[in-house]
Amino acid sequence: MNQQLAGFAPTPVTARMENHGRTMLKVAMASGQDLYARTGSMVAYEGFIQYEPNPPAVRQIASQWITGEGAPLMKCAGDGLLYLADYGADVVVINLDNDSLSVNGTNLLAFDSHLTWGVERVKGLAKFAGQGLWNVCVQGTGWVAITSRGTPIVVDCGRGEDETYVDPDALVAWSPNLKVKGKRSFKAGSLIGRGSGEAYQMAFSGQGIVVVQPSEDSTDRLRVRN
Amino acid sequence: MAREFQRGHKAKVSDLTSGTDLYVGVQIAGPGLTFDISCFGLDADEQLSDDRYFIFFNQPKSPEESIQLLGAQAGDTESFRVTLDRIPANIHKLSFTATLDGAGQMSQVGPGYIRIVAGGEEVVKYAFTGSEFTTERAVMLGDFYLKDVWRFAAVGQGFDGGLDALLKNFGGEVAEEAPAAPSQDAPPAFAPPSQASAPPAFGAPAAPQAPQPAPAFGAPSAPAPAPQQPPVHAAPTIAAPMAPQAPAPYGQPPQQPQFGQIPGQGAPPAAPPYGQQPPAAPPYGQQPPVPFGQQPPGLPHGVPQGVPAAGAGLQAALQPYKEAATGQRWTSQNQQLMRVDLTMGGMPVLARQGSMVMYQGKVDFGYKGAGFAGRMVGNATGQEMQLMRCTGRGQVFLAEEGAHLHPIELQGDGICVSAENVLAFDESLLYEVRRIEGHGIPGGALFTMQFQGTGTVVVKTHGVPVVLPVTPTTFADCNAVVAWSSASQVIVSSQVRLRRNAYPGHSGETVNLQFRGAPGNFVVVQPYEV
Repeated sequence: MNQQLAGFAPTPVTARMENHGRTMLKVAMASGQDLYARTGSMVAYEGFIQYEPNPPAVRQIASQWITGEGAPLMKCAGDGLLYLADYGADVVVINLDNDSLSVNGTNLLAFDSHLTWGVERVKGLAKFAGQGLWNVCVQGTGWVAITSRGTPIVVDCGRGEDETYVDPDALVAWSPNLKVKGKRSFKAGSLIGRGSGEAYQMAFSGQGIVVVQPSEDSTDRLRVRN
Repeated sequence: MAREFQRGHKAKVSDLTSGTDLYVGVQIAGPGLTFDISCFGLDADEQLSDDRYFIFFNQPKSPEESIQLLGAQAGDTESFRVTLDRIPANIHKLSFTATLDGAGQMSQVGPGYIRIVAGGEEVVKYAFTGSEFTTERAVMLGDFYLKDVWRFAAVGQGFDGGLDALLKNFGGEVAEEAPAAPSQDAPPAFAPPSQASAPPAFGAPAAPQAPQPAPAFGAPSAPAPAPQQPPVHAAPTIAAPMAPQAPAPYGQPPQQPQFGQIPGQGAPPAAPPYGQQPPAAPPYGQQPPVPFGQQPPGLPHGVPQGVPAAGAGLQAALQPYKEAATGQRWTSQNQQLMRVDLTMGGMPVLARQGSMVMYQGKVDFGYKGAGFAGRMVGNATGQEMQLMRCTGRGQVFLAEEGAHLHPIELQGDGICVSAENVLAFDESLLYEVRRIEGHGIPGGALFTMQFQGTGTVVVKTHGVPVVLPVTPTTFADCNAVVAWSSASQVIVSSQVRLRRNAYPGHSGETVNLQFRGAPGNFVVVQPYEV
């Protein structure tokens, strides 16, 4: 039995954050290098790691995000190996090199606590999307892990003059320097039940990238479970 | 007679020489400078998609030997043999580059050239001097590129980074490269569990010019660009810490194998791998611990802050997920995402409502009913297929719930697809909704769409499907069947056994579809029963 399962043993640590398979994230923790992770995303850990849900620092930064149940982030501190996953979603590990990235709150899995981050509401759109669209802007040099339901795609916006329109449910992340606006494509037909099914999109323009997942499932599974 | 090219000149190779077996010579030199001259075989997107076409001293020829590195001869610092008509079709460009090895900058180079010799005769020469450059550390000298026919261009463009930046520019996987921010805010050194557990070889820095084992993707190592430190890491394999300020040992390719074996980096037998010991004795390089980022200095660091294989930074991390344009109407971006370019072919696409995840350009999404017949059938069970029509100019990306997508190109043939599994199709296709009735089918009938004509249908499946040839005994579960070639005949077969009720709990597989048809017909079944 061991032989068949041996192939799934963790590989030696080579970096702070790594993929274990497509859908699991392995973080090498050390004291002094804290991590913010989505509450409920921990699937296993080795070593001595402590979790602090809704830490004061988060409460301050993400005060808007908090809707009474606390921000969906926990602070992980300690030494060891931490395994995170989000219900089988693909995990993409990004080593920010003085970059910045704006990630949809649902698609953020973990990030280094020393990164500069902030929570903002996507303007003009939140009132249409059912759960509101929160995004976390992460900036600096360090590690970020995002999730995507299915293999994501990255599109360069600055190529054509045309804007890039994204279904908000499929949006994962984008460059914060892009200009974002909501676009409603309501037509008379939509009112009598003949819509195209695509009522509103987010329009991105400028130089930067947009990351999109091949699924319009934007439910926050980590949160739904609670 | 040699033609003298200036920077930016281009010509068809066939205008220069009738031969396709070419000798490319590069001369570049400068006082106290050494150069690495290499050739990148790039694909249509100017990416190094196949690293076997990165020709350099450590990989002197491409697999089919259409590009070979010959070494210094006949006054040339480096020379190549290029056989244009043997270059595989996916290589669209050969870029000849020179990079500085060690200190220096391109402005220091003396007069040099890149020349093409065919049949013993120099046919073209592009001469340059260092005064054309400034502080660059690499220069792209000339390109062979495929635009209908092979052409040659004198490029002469400097490049700020060294070889690793060049590699990254071409989308190569920099197997060994400078860690993210190699110097200043360098990641902390890793402190291994104990000296004892580190292989002894570690402590002994190998001679910097030691011969290298060809790494997985051998970017040249010793000559690799980074000026201050030897930044080379075979990132995918090393289990080791990046300690950018460390002196030699890290950079030595010959030691790479050992990195992988360091105990203590999560390998079971080792002592606690998390490096909790004080940084006072960092065994690797004796370098002082480097404060990392905003981290308070003085804290013990233990976590390897390695850099992913593709390199640091947002772009590198997301490189594998980049949009791929092939110039075709339908392009699979990955298993789950389809890109349709409406400007090609100029006809609208019908897609399942809500399946658009993104679009670029001016695209209009309109309502498309299932048609009268479709509604009749649909209304009977409430299973109307909801479609939208995408028109305009632009690219639409379609996906649904992470299902696997398969474009099926029809050229006059026909296919039946279970209505639930249709994601999108060209409007040029003729389609009709058919129902297969049978007792026991949920909802009373199975709806299928029969497509005919010329165009593409995108079929979605949950999971990886199986394609079965139709034999006299081919059965499929009516819930799992996705599609079948329309020439095969479908029969509903119910396994009714008289004794069935005698047992509690029968097999549950009562209604199957049997397929009959001539050889060559097929059935597609998904591993998921709706």
